[in-house]
Amino acid sequence: MLSVNNITKIFNKKTVNERVALENVSLQMEPGEFITIIGGNGAGKSTLLNCIAGSYLVDEGYILLDGENITFQKEHKRARYIGRLFQDPLKGTAPNMTIEENMALAYMRTAKKPFSIGISKKDRDYIRTRLESLGLGLENRMKTKVGLLSGGQRQAITLLMATMTTPKLLLLDEHTAALDPATAEKVLELTKQIVRENTITTLMITHNIASALDCGNRTLMMEQGKIILDLQGEQRGSMTVEDVLELFRQKSNREFDNDRVLLS
Amino acid sequence: MDLFLGSAEQGLIYGLLTIGIYISYRILNVADLTVDGSFTTGAAVSIMLTLAGHPVLGILLAAVAGALAGIVTAFLQTKLKIQPILAGILTMTALYTINLAIMGNRPNMSLLYQETIFTGIDEALGRWGELVFCLLICVVCVALVSLFLHTRLGLSVRATGDNEDMVRSSSINADLMKFIGLAVANALVALSGAVLCQYQQFTDISMGTGMVVIALASLVIGEVVFGWSKLMLAAMIIGTIIYRLIYALALQVEIPVMYMKLVTAVFVILAISYPVIVDKIKLHSQKRRTNHAIGQ
Ligand SMILES: Nc1ncnc2c1ncn2[C@@H]1O[C@H](COP(=O)(O)OP(=O)(O)OP(=O)(O)O)[C@@H](O)[C@H]1O
Ligand SMILES: [Mg+2]
Repeated sequence: MLSVNNITKIFNKKTVNERVALENVSLQMEPGEFITIIGGNGAGKSTLLNCIAGSYLVDEGYILLDGENITFQKEHKRARYIGRLFQDPLKGTAPNMTIEENMALAYMRTAKKPFSIGISKKDRDYIRTRLESLGLGLENRMKTKVGLLSGGQRQAITLLMATMTTPKLLLLDEHTAALDPATAEKVLELTKQIVRENTITTLMITHNIASALDCGNRTLMMEQGKIILDLQGEQRGSMTVEDVLELFRQKSNREFDNDRVLLS
Repeated sequence: MDLFLGSAEQGLIYGLLTIGIYISYRILNVADLTVDGSFTTGAAVSIMLTLAGHPVLGILLAAVAGALAGIVTAFLQTKLKIQPILAGILTMTALYTINLAIMGNRPNMSLLYQETIFTGIDEALGRWGELVFCLLICVVCVALVSLFLHTRLGLSVRATGDNEDMVRSSSINADLMKFIGLAVANALVALSGAVLCQYQQFTDISMGTGMVVIALASLVIGEVVFGWSKLMLAAMIIGTIIYRLIYALALQVEIPVMYMKLVTAVFVILAISYPVIVDKIKLHSQKRRTNHAIGQ
């Protein structure tokens, strides 16, 4: 499925600000796997996802998706089969366009015909049933501009958009971190539901260790541009948040520090 | 009456220019200064082909030339990473030479006794001919642009101007959308120049100067007067007609032509910075009230 091989990413190479954000990182993902990633500030989590999605080109190593070499493929090309959500709910939707227009944009991800009508009646019906599945009542506000919605509502729509045509890979970068706790919980539940129903291979960064253990079936811990821990199977099943923090201490000789971490 | 008729005709012609600016400024969210050059390019192409006896072809090729100018600006912006404003200025500057070359190195030319796109309809309808014909061109263009904006491609262009972050992480090629948006915008601008040239029967190398600002003024008027309707393209045309009417009335009361550009620029500054100014005034009065309340 996804195969990341010895990738290295260096920012501001050969300047005083040189920063090795990823160092020889490798990762093999099975189809349908749901991996959560934790780690301190600046560990390289976002950089890893950005390299996979093509926002940054790697300095060394290569990336395969379903056997195809995507290392040098442009970001918008990869976006045809990689869905993404960011921490900032404003990043995923166009504020001055309506809910249905935003959804339609995602819907045409794989469609080719550029001059066909933007939103046909069939599209509209499909968009409505997808919105209904959110249970947020948005199906009755399809002509509302997205800019008028709350962060949580926008993030839920972005989630639908990213999974509208089932992606090969879903990348989530702390996509609930900017939401209030109740809304975050709701969006996380939706995420799990959509991922489960469509068995989407998923990589999710979270600052919440409890939900990292609770969601998915494998957890990675990153530190200083490396994956220092790969928890799966039985070992992961019996882990508590305390165990994870203790493991981190042993591996890196310091306390787990993330300014957004929730230990609850 | 002639004043109204003339303003309406010109409003319809310059309305295409305003729609072009609406596409670049409002939809793509870039201030595209190519316009000052591509407007003249349209007129230059139009006059040369009209003189050669092909007025209709002149209009069509003018639009193509305008689209090419937009493509050059988009190339500078996206592939060579030149700031949008500078990219427009560079194309506009280069176009000055090209426009002169198109007109055979003559700074102005006129069309006397030549057959233009207006000739036939003038003979048929008399004094209303030009208005009807301009209206027809406008309706066709508005319909085509409106259709375009509702296609998948059109939606993608709109999204690119609205949230580039989103577009980058979606499968839309943001750079390509800028090429398409600027090409369509400048095609309309050149079309406007081309029709104007055959309407007023002359082309001047500097006729494009200040067109961006004039179009912005018309755009703002259109949004204020008719923006509530959501028929934004129609609002652009109506805004332009009103601008032309004000312009004509100002000339009527003998405000010298040379003042008009200053007045227009000041108007655009006020219209665009209106929210900032209102905020400042509100903050000022709030400060005064607070100071008054705590006795200082
Ligand atoms: N565009 C960039 N230019 C320069 N340095 C960068 C850039 N992006 C990230 N970095 C650096 O790379 C390192 C890894 O950053 P990254 O954003 O991947 O961390 P992270 O694990 O996502 O942290 P956080 O939990 O704070 O989001 C950091 O030291 C960061 O300063
Ligand atoms: Mg991050």
